[in-house]
Amino acid sequence: MIDIIVMILFGIGLFSFFSTTVGILRFPDFYSRMHAAGKGDVFSSVVMLLGLVIYHFHHPSLDGVLVAIKILMISLFIFLASPTATHAIISAGFNSGVVPWAKPKPEEDKQ
Amino acid sequence: MDNFFIAGGVILLVLMLLTLYRAIIGPTAIDRLMAVNVIGTKTTVLLIIIGMLFNWVEMFVDIALAYALLNFIVTIATSRYFQHHKNLCPIGFGIRHRKEGARK
Amino acid sequence: MIWQFDLLILALGVLCALASISLKDLLSAAIVFGAYSFLMCLLWTEMGAVDVAFTEAAVGAGVSTVFFLAAVYHTNRAVKPRRRGRLLHKLVGLVTAACIGLLLLSATADFPTWADPNSPASVYLSPFYITETIPQTAVPNIVTAVLADFRGFDTMFETSVIFVAGLAVLAILGSYGRRQRDYEPSPTGQDAAHQSSIVQTACRVFVPFMQLFALYVVAHGHHSPGGGFQGGVILGASFILVAISYDLRVMQRRLRERLAMLFAGLGVLIYAGIGALCLVLGANFLDYSILHTILPATSPIMARSHGMLGVEIGVAFTVMAIMVIIYVNVASHGKSDRGL
Repeated sequence: MIDIIVMILFGIGLFSFFSTTVGILRFPDFYSRMHAAGKGDVFSSVVMLLGLVIYHFHHPSLDGVLVAIKILMISLFIFLASPTATHAIISAGFNSGVVPWAKPKPEEDKQ
Repeated sequence: MDNFFIAGGVILLVLMLLTLYRAIIGPTAIDRLMAVNVIGTKTTVLLIIIGMLFNWVEMFVDIALAYALLNFIVTIATSRYFQHHKNLCPIGFGIRHRKEGARK
Repeated sequence: MIWQFDLLILALGVLCALASISLKDLLSAAIVFGAYSFLMCLLWTEMGAVDVAFTEAAVGAGVSTVFFLAAVYHTNRAVKPRRRGRLLHKLVGLVTAACIGLLLLSATADFPTWADPNSPASVYLSPFYITETIPQTAVPNIVTAVLADFRGFDTMFETSVIFVAGLAVLAILGSYGRRQRDYEPSPTGQDAAHQSSIVQTACRVFVPFMQLFALYVVAHGHHSPGGGFQGGVILGASFILVAISYDLRVMQRRLRERLAMLFAGLGVLIYAGIGALCLVLGANFLDYSILHTILPATSPIMARSHGMLGVEIGVAFTVMAIMVIIYVNVASHGKSDRGL
């Protein structure tokens, strides 16, 4: 039962990491890539770490509770720090003048 | 369950490889910073997975926490660099030298 | 030792290293070098060497990348383009590197195979440490026991090497800064580099927890991966976080450079002082078991454990102070007014 929950959470996390990577590779512009990286990253790691915490309760013990709390603290730290880092990168990029990608205009018909 | 974790870890490493492609190719320096940040986060998760595979998570949790902290510090420091020197990247700064101002 | 991970991490590491040396932009090379350090840490974790991985994560992936950035900030960012017609030089370099590499590789033919149970290290050394650490020192972490007790002399000189590195940075850059007496006004308005309030608030919240975690790492070096060195680096990194999220002056109001130098010297003094104390009490240098005569209610074995803790605290002081000093000097080019 715990195994199935862990597998589902892992699957969601891995799929989300995969979409993040596809976004980083394929989006045309720094801002959209950062969008993909910032959001997908945080969500995937929090979900995967949650899955690992639940897997840890296969053999419950007092030490296990301490380790579970530490892993939850890691995921809380990633939840708070990663969006801050995303904000810092994007504001640095914006203040340095990165131009957002715009869809190329279709050529005007000859009048 | 072990095999499942190994498969998950292998998928994570392959995804890291793809992100490294963006770190090499990324036309501006700030793209590379973003890619390295993503690699760092994936490594944090991978460290805990390795801990589960060794059946000894207590040792690896401290490393993962320190890792996440230092990943954050590197990202903030580099973004501060870009606020000082606003020249993000002349287009010619790839793996090969190109003349400054040359279009791709 | 999971071979699938091994192959992939090694491939990633090699790619990162190749990318880092072939990128023509020093800033990007420094950033990708940070990723290389991340991957080295992963490799060592996967091999089971958690203490080394912790140190690499703290030093190589964190603080070292910030030092590279600070250095690139003050110097050129572009790699000089190679002149044409240097083919002969490249050929000579390639042949030399290949010969030396082959020589070194031929020496590895004499090594015992990986984890060979009959190699001298596995027959004489490892069983001694594995069986004798807890009866003699009551410390479960064998790596810390070897570093701080069985090979404590070595670690003392490592600490002094770190101290000398900080002195060298101070001597080269600090004197340069003091010679430049003219005051440059700091840029304001549009040109001022400041982080947004989001980043400042987040860092203000994180710094106390980072320091608490660093102290935990120092204190728990006996039972989990950690110890003085790793804890000291994370402590120093917390001050660097204050400096890069607010300003160098804000950090210097909290830890002045002179106080940091005092801490650095104090750390080496604590280490050598504990050794000298053991000498004074009648045992060998750095033989902590004699400390049971002055510490109340300890046996000689527990005295070794406490001596190791004292020594690790000394290492943590020195490492923290030196990280701060090197950052302040490299980031501000010796002037200590405003930095990266």
